[in-house]
Amino acid sequence: MNLERLKSLAISDSGFIFDPSSGNTYNTNATGLKIINYLKEKKDINEIFDLFMESYDVSSEEVEFDINDFIENLINYHLVSNS
Amino acid sequence: MIKVAVSGINAAENPGPGVGIIRSLKESALDVRTIGLAYDAMEPGIYLDNLIDKSYILPYPSGDVKSFIERIKYIHSIEKLDIIISALDAELPVYMDIEDNLLNDGIKMLIPTKKMFSLRNKTNLKPIAESIGLKTPDYFSCTSTGDLHQIIQKIGMPCMIKGPFYEAFKANSIAEAEGFFHKLAAKWGYPIVVQEFVDGQEYDVIGCGDGMGNDLGLFAIKKMTTTSLGKVWNAVSIVNEKLIETSKTLLSHLKWRGGFELEVLIDLKTEDIFLIEINPRFPAWVYMASACGINLPERMVCFLLDQKYENHSNYQNGKIMIRYTNEIMKDISDLEKITSYGELENNPL
Repeated sequence: MNLERLKSLAISDSGFIFDPSSGNTYNTNATGLKIINYLKEKKDINEIFDLFMESYDVSSEEVEFDINDFIENLINYHLVSNS
Repeated sequence: MIKVAVSGINAAENPGPGVGIIRSLKESALDVRTIGLAYDAMEPGIYLDNLIDKSYILPYPSGDVKSFIERIKYIHSIEKLDIIISALDAELPVYMDIEDNLLNDGIKMLIPTKKMFSLRNKTNLKPIAESIGLKTPDYFSCTSTGDLHQIIQKIGMPCMIKGPFYEAFKANSIAEAEGFFHKLAAKWGYPIVVQEFVDGQEYDVIGCGDGMGNDLGLFAIKKMTTTSLGKVWNAVSIVNEKLIETSKTLLSHLKWRGGFELEVLIDLKTEDIFLIEINPRFPAWVYMASACGINLPERMVCFLLDQKYENHSNYQNGKIMIRYTNEIMKDISDLEKITSYGELENNPL
């Protein structure tokens, strides 16, 4: 996964995201913020899954769905790419 | 003290660049007396006594050009102008014709050549843009619904339907395209432009060329909100290396002279840059660049007067311009002076 764009984003603790290259802004919640920060730490999807399972009392299906759904959003917004 | 005359001081709902240019000069390190050149007594800039020292009414350049030139010479005889910054497309052709004449009288300008000015016409812009590897969307002019249908068959749907001067609508069907065609034709006349739709976001770049292929600085924004005519109202500064490099390449190729605004679309999927338009003067949001450290009017004046000037394009991203409406109160005697004498002095020397 290409994370170059993700690294250039200005991300605040409130979940407000600003892309200085496109001028686009986004808002995410605490879960989304965690996923972004894990990605920036170069953790892969499996590692992120494990970390969420350790931290949250939810089913594995729900965790898997949320992570994949969020990453799909990042791809659709061109903030990460599959390469 | 430097005397600079600036047009386009109609700071109304679709503001001209003049007030932003003047504000940039007043907030610079230059000691400058600002002269507003207006075409109507109700142009708000005339009454902004904190920015414009004196204003004069000019005859429309589309009318009697001789009267226009005589008026400029009259103003010069009073003010001893150093520089004129033209901020309106409609008057630029006249200034292009008389620039040398004005220079002989001691008035300097940095404006495009007629060849550069012709790039406002997309027919002229497209081959030049493509010769340097820059994309432009396909577009066609039409004056009838028959033409419209033929063009839509070529470029497909959706497409953009644009007026000859302002406004653009995205049409998703033939019926919508016809509706927009008639609406724009009734308001602005012909030709109506049908343009290939690019799924992208709009960005603008402002800059100033020295006429030798170099820029005096560049500044890019993303439009956040626009007026009913599609003009920038609120914007955010962005730093996009590809966009700045593309702008520099174009500027260098054209050896652009004077202020300009590039309007581009960046394709959402491919991030290809599509050049939509070149406006041959500073745009109304020029002050935003100045407030972020890229004071192009100041740099233009320094360049023209052979003074030292900055030419970097270093600025912070994420700065938002919030444009708002405001009111000031003036006495009716100001209106009397500008309508009876064609002049209003705000700050006597």
